[in-house]
Amino acid sequence: MLNQIKGFLETSFLDWPGKIVSVVFFPKCNFRCPYCHNHGLVLTPEKYETISVEYILNRLSEFKGWVDGICITGGEPTLHASLLDIIRKFKSDDFLVKLDTNGTNPAVLKDLIENRLVDYVSMDVKGPLDEIRYSRNAGVQVNLSDIKESIKTLKEGTIPYEFRVTVVPTLLKEDDIIDLAKQLSRADKFTLSNFNPSDPLDIQLKDVKPYDEDMLKRLQHRVDEIVKMPI
Amino acid sequence: MSTLREFDIETKRVKSDSETTDMALFVRTSKEDLLGWNRMRIVDALVRETYVDIDTAQEISKEVERQIIDSKIAVVTAPLIRELVDAKLIERGLEQARKMHTRLGVPLYDVDQLILHPNKENANVPHSPEATNLTLAEMIKKEYALLNVFSQEIGDAHLRGDIHIHDLGFIDRPYCSGQSLEYIKRFGLSLPNSLSIAKPAKHPEVLLAHMVKFAAALQSHFAGAIGWDAVNLFFAPYLVGLDDAEVRQLAQILIFEFSQQAVARGGQAIFTDINLYWEVPSHFEDVPAIGPGGKYTGKPYGYYQEEAQRFVWFLFDVFKEGDGVGRPFFFPKPLVHITEKFFKTPGHEDFLNHICDVASEKGNTYFVFDRGNTAKISECCRLSFKLEASDLEDAKEPWKMRYTALQNITLNLPRMGYLAKKDDTKLFSNISDFMEMAVQAHMQKKGFIEKLLSLKERGPLALLTMEKDDSPYLRMHRATYLIGMLGLNELVEIHTGEELHHSKKAFKFGLKIIAHMKLLADKFGEKHGMRFVLEQSPAESTSYRFAKLDLRYHSPQSGHIVKGDISKAEVYYTNSTCFTVSSQMNPIERVRKEGLFHPLIEAGALTHIWLGEAKPSKESLANFVIKTFNGTLNDQIAFSPEFTTCISCGKTSRGLSDECNYCGSNEVEGITRITGYFTKTSSWNKGKIGELNDRFRNSGFLNDGDGDVIKLPQKPKN
Repeated sequence: MLNQIKGFLETSFLDWPGKIVSVVFFPKCNFRCPYCHNHGLVLTPEKYETISVEYILNRLSEFKGWVDGICITGGEPTLHASLLDIIRKFKSDDFLVKLDTNGTNPAVLKDLIENRLVDYVSMDVKGPLDEIRYSRNAGVQVNLSDIKESIKTLKEGTIPYEFRVTVVPTLLKEDDIIDLAKQLSRADKFTLSNFNPSDPLDIQLKDVKPYDEDMLKRLQHRVDEIVKMPI
Repeated sequence: MSTLREFDIETKRVKSDSETTDMALFVRTSKEDLLGWNRMRIVDALVRETYVDIDTAQEISKEVERQIIDSKIAVVTAPLIRELVDAKLIERGLEQARKMHTRLGVPLYDVDQLILHPNKENANVPHSPEATNLTLAEMIKKEYALLNVFSQEIGDAHLRGDIHIHDLGFIDRPYCSGQSLEYIKRFGLSLPNSLSIAKPAKHPEVLLAHMVKFAAALQSHFAGAIGWDAVNLFFAPYLVGLDDAEVRQLAQILIFEFSQQAVARGGQAIFTDINLYWEVPSHFEDVPAIGPGGKYTGKPYGYYQEEAQRFVWFLFDVFKEGDGVGRPFFFPKPLVHITEKFFKTPGHEDFLNHICDVASEKGNTYFVFDRGNTAKISECCRLSFKLEASDLEDAKEPWKMRYTALQNITLNLPRMGYLAKKDDTKLFSNISDFMEMAVQAHMQKKGFIEKLLSLKERGPLALLTMEKDDSPYLRMHRATYLIGMLGLNELVEIHTGEELHHSKKAFKFGLKIIAHMKLLADKFGEKHGMRFVLEQSPAESTSYRFAKLDLRYHSPQSGHIVKGDISKAEVYYTNSTCFTVSSQMNPIERVRKEGLFHPLIEAGALTHIWLGEAKPSKESLANFVIKTFNGTLNDQIAFSPEFTTCISCGKTSRGLSDECNYCGSNEVEGITRITGYFTKTSSWNKGKIGELNDRFRNSGFLNDGDGDVIKLPQKPKN
């Protein structure tokens, strides 16, 4: 029951810049980020119908030449033992594969990269790399060395990647973002996402107003400058 | 003009004990003075307006006078007298005379409502005194059209809702107009009845001013869109030597002028389409360019590619920025033509990303696909014309390229289905009957417009008869007559039990119907020497109207067919040949399948991809646009995002919501694309609101165990 795909979005224009992709969702997560908007998948995956890989590949065969790749997200895909097998099936049908992960599983990440099973990785980072702030934003106690290991793996690896962070004003101050940017310096790409208060895991966040877009754009610009700088 | 005297009568006083004609009735005339009661005025009106003989008229007038006296009414109003006379005509069986003597007007209550409340039939009409004037005039012209322009049979078909004759309130105008800047570049701005005459522009700002003023003049003569061909190219000879800042400034002025001028048709913005090219279209490449002062520059348009490209780039910069508070511009609508030559023109990758950026950020961009060697000019919401051989000849003198669609008529396809009762033969014969009604209606409108045009410069359409070159501005021989369709999806459902997206069989049946309509349009065209062209009608209010009428005439069956929420009266039919907006169909399927209809629908067609709150990557959209060009028959696509703009704090956010994301205020307005243009959702009619609630956005969804769809919010990404 754990090793199953629980959601399938046939097309997306926003998950992989330049590509038209399908998105598959894995259930369960080892984090409880208070701003999580896919918490149904995390907390009550049994409510979602399971979708077979065969169904997905069969369906996608109708869109040959249109869908470039498949974005694997969740939940947290790297918790699932079936992940490698499923990706192999996608790959054998010539789809590019992008993985969304929280970076808690560096061994799986390394494995995927070394076996050339992923073409792009997007890693969610939760906050500055110290136990207190990171664990608060992830909603659970986090082993930071795993996170750091994943960051290192991506930076030293050969495939394109990005780090992203969801900016919730009450959880991340401007200084926190700058700290994090410094810790991620020399990364290929570090993207800030705005917080969407419509349906967070922790309902208290419903009343939190997101930063306005202009402010976020300015912050993104500063972050870009920092990430570019040598250590 | 001879005055049609209204007998605005006011009884001063009727002595209660008086039994004679000793009454001091006063008549308030339309000339705003008071006249004493004079029975002969009834006689005069009857003789002047109808074919009734004088003796009958005398008799009627006496009877009516008697009736008024006997009734001892305190106040007599003009419409009342006219109705009393009409009643007498009916008693005598004089039906024709009664019709001729009819008074067109509006009840007091309606006028009161109208002045106080906004018009919801067309989301583009603001609520203002100017708008009220338009609505009042439209009401009367509508009645006039149904009584005096169209035959009883056609008028009834419209009222029943078999067909919908669009813009009846604009009966004395053609529908839409397409032209290029070349006309004003060459002839300046010299319009009939205008107070002053301007020679051809010497400077780009002046050319722009001429364009705006000419557009306004045209808009007051056409019911629908005013389209401009290859705007960036025809501006180009004026831009030589300007620096980037100056060109950008001009782009900004152009867009703000067309988006803020709320002057036309009841205080609406001029419905403006600007057609744009990255390359110099082949048919203009060798055409001698006209430059400042209306003179030939000595070079062909092919020479001005760089200027044209600078201008179009900056236009999209402005679209991307949005208005003063970052909202998308509603007008002008930019239509970018994608051709084979586009992909061979240097810089097209960057330009495509640029316009896709605008599509993602603000949604303005329309992508028009001109495959093979067809060149097209797009005019209206979704109306475009393929240029034919004679047009390509005209292209050598581009000021001649003036096109019009004279009228737009939409057929109620579901109605054909209810009437056919699942009998194929009956269905196809209904299609012929409905098409024939549309053809009749077009011929009647054509006759009427020709009558107005024959009055030349002394007539109401003087502007359209001016002959600066060797033919009148409105080229009737190139006019098209649009036949639109509404609710193919529902027709197929009524007839086969399945909606278009349910099965291949249902889809094929839909195609067969449209192919048959196309065949008929061509046949009728040959027979009458007119160009009947199928069109995806915008049908902003028609969709609601047909659904309501079918609920009335075809219940209970229609109750299972109409879309929307019946309990709230938010009902509609699916537009034209489109799939139902709620069908969970990914954009690839949508452009491919809807695109199969497009070659049959000559007057252009459009597939919408609703983005909801998702803000896609511009490169991914560019990827999709290229694949749509190469891999489908689709004519035109647009990506439509949705916005919520806050009246309290002034900020705009993605998606439609009931409260402001930033300040929590409930004082918000939704903005998204209606049939073919952006508007505020607060101005939408009930049918469109129903459709909005049903829209399937291309964002995440999951099925839960019960088969209900649980919406899975997309990851917020930039």
